[in-house]
Amino acid sequence: MSGEGKKPPMDTDGHRYGKGGEEEKPQMDTDEHRLGEGGGATTRFLGRGDLEKLVAELLGAGTRVVAPVDAGKGETEYRVVGQFTDAKLGAALPRRSLKEFFLPPTEELFRWRRDGAGLELQEAPASFPATVILGAFPCDAAAVQTLDKVMGWDYRDDPWFGRREATTIVALACNGQDGSCFCTAVGLGPDAARGSDLLLTAVRDGYEVQVLTAKGAALVGRHAARFAEACDEDPARNVRREACTRVSSNLQATPEKIRGWLQANFEHPIWKGIALRCHGCGACAAVCPTCHCFDIVDEPEGLAEGARRRNWDTCQTPVFTLHASGHNPRADQNARIRQRLNHKFRIYQERFGELLCTGCGRCARACPGGMDLPELLGALEKLAVSAPVPVPASAPVPAPAGGAFIPPPGGAR
Amino acid sequence: MKELQDLAAKLLAEKTVGLVIGWEQGPRGARPAFVADPKDAGRLIFDNRCVHNLAAYLSPRRPHLRGFGRIAVAVKGCDVRAVAGLVRESQLKREDVVLLGVRCGGVHDEPTDAGPLTAENLADRCVGCEVREPPRCDHVLGELPPAPPSRDGRRAGRIAELDALDHAARFAFWRQELSRCVRCNACRQVCPLCTCERCLADKTDPPWIESSPHTRANFAWHATRALHLAGRCVDCGECERACPAGIPLNLIGRKVAAVVERRFGYRTTDDPQVPAPIGAWKPDDGQEFIR
Repeated sequence: MSGEGKKPPMDTDGHRYGKGGEEEKPQMDTDEHRLGEGGGATTRFLGRGDLEKLVAELLGAGTRVVAPVDAGKGETEYRVVGQFTDAKLGAALPRRSLKEFFLPPTEELFRWRRDGAGLELQEAPASFPATVILGAFPCDAAAVQTLDKVMGWDYRDDPWFGRREATTIVALACNGQDGSCFCTAVGLGPDAARGSDLLLTAVRDGYEVQVLTAKGAALVGRHAARFAEACDEDPARNVRREACTRVSSNLQATPEKIRGWLQANFEHPIWKGIALRCHGCGACAAVCPTCHCFDIVDEPEGLAEGARRRNWDTCQTPVFTLHASGHNPRADQNARIRQRLNHKFRIYQERFGELLCTGCGRCARACPGGMDLPELLGALEKLAVSAPVPVPASAPVPAPAGGAFIPPPGGAR
Repeated sequence: MKELQDLAAKLLAEKTVGLVIGWEQGPRGARPAFVADPKDAGRLIFDNRCVHNLAAYLSPRRPHLRGFGRIAVAVKGCDVRAVAGLVRESQLKREDVVLLGVRCGGVHDEPTDAGPLTAENLADRCVGCEVREPPRCDHVLGELPPAPPSRDGRRAGRIAELDALDHAARFAFWRQELSRCVRCNACRQVCPLCTCERCLADKTDPPWIESSPHTRANFAWHATRALHLAGRCVDCGECERACPAGIPLNLIGRKVAAVVERRFGYRTTDDPQVPAPIGAWKPDDGQEFIR
């Protein structure tokens, strides 16, 4: 992020932890590691041949490398690669986001074994393989940083931060995918640096490399022979500017206005028909880089042992909110879509000062019923502009000291 | 198209129905359309991108659509089988729905695909279509288009390849495919025949099917679903289209349908009076497996 212009408006130090008490730092603040704040990031050049050699060196050193690979039908998926040529850089946006490399669809939290009257607990491994994610899309890298906030909120999520610390994200500036991209409408862009340790921009013969964090600098330092002095920055800047222009034409929105409107219009008639075509299938949440809700289950394996696991969950299913009494506070799909929009564009922002959406457009692409988030945002924008709601300058609802469910005065964590 | 729009407007204006479900042009290709106001009927379209099986919206699991009263729904000939399934299983009263049959010459795989149909881009289920003229509908609309381009069925070929593998190799294939399932339940939710009010997979006490998306549980889920859809699956392909992991679920449906046909002489039909094997017994049903 060469200093100027593209800094996402939400990307301020928006942590609302422990306001008024002693200043609590989030468990991992990647902003801290950002080198180029205000002065532009350090820039290098990485030739195509050197990128191939870099990957060979990483693999040779036992580092796990993840990159988009061909998944057939013109689609790609992020997968662990065995060699550079498996990677398909700068092609289609992978079917699912990066989140599964930090919050897997299922993971063991611990195992138990009963032995007579005794009970033995075995913790899940707490060390994670050193990983470089190569060719991450900026919308996916940004999402990971957004999720650091909730993962380090009232409880430090060790598996999440363990994987975060073990992983270096090398993003590649995107050219924009199609008409469903709207990263520029949520304060990011196809060249957003947020969440990335290095940001590459494809130029002739190679990549311009922006070194964004200490972790990124360390990677460059370890493989210094691969990186040349900075190239002429103009071609890369032009590539990025053109991509931004392209994506901006898809959707113009003012998330602050939408947030105010959402807050004031929980019972607006628009919600009554918002989700007629929605099947409640949850594919949107599965492909979303920021949907992070999980369920925790105990699964016996035989009579004497078993595992506690956490699994992806989604607010789009009735059982997500079904009470033991049989009552369901979200009675139908309209209520569930209202929840999804509120969580992404109001609640998370009120809690953490950030939108829970990076504009990747995957939900629209994946939806079998044709629900289209950019279209819905456009409609909300129109409503918000035509009936503006005064928005307080700062977040209106400070997070309770102990998180949503734990309000003991004095705030034991 | 005009015929469909005019009829929809008329049915709504006369209050014969409170809602017409059809297709429209969306931001990304064709998509389901919900028209409650006759003035909006002009949005309705039908062309070879209208892949969606709209019978899914008739399922009793959609409380947010119940408030509209009687519903008219646009169906392709093949979609009628799903409506018949719902009627056969008492999930829908035939008189509660007005079927607007559209004559169809085949569709693409995806609603975002465009252009004329070719042997290359034709959806596999349309190969050898026998229901271009939709049966058992209240209205049948449009000109009868030419038959879809002819070619061999790709899935039939793929199933034959898998059948030719030994057990271990076939198991390895499905282990690889099903390991990618994240149990989002998209396959179940878009399925017009997955109508259980409380799915076995959602039951937690006891947890018949583990909810974790590890391969063991994924096998349990997809095997259960395949067996529960045996003789009920209408091969609309919506589950595979919806799957965010790209698992070839249609192969399972097609394979099971072939087994049901061989064992019970039954093919999914658009006649709701013909009982499906899952809910019927005949003295001459094969029972040599009982030992």
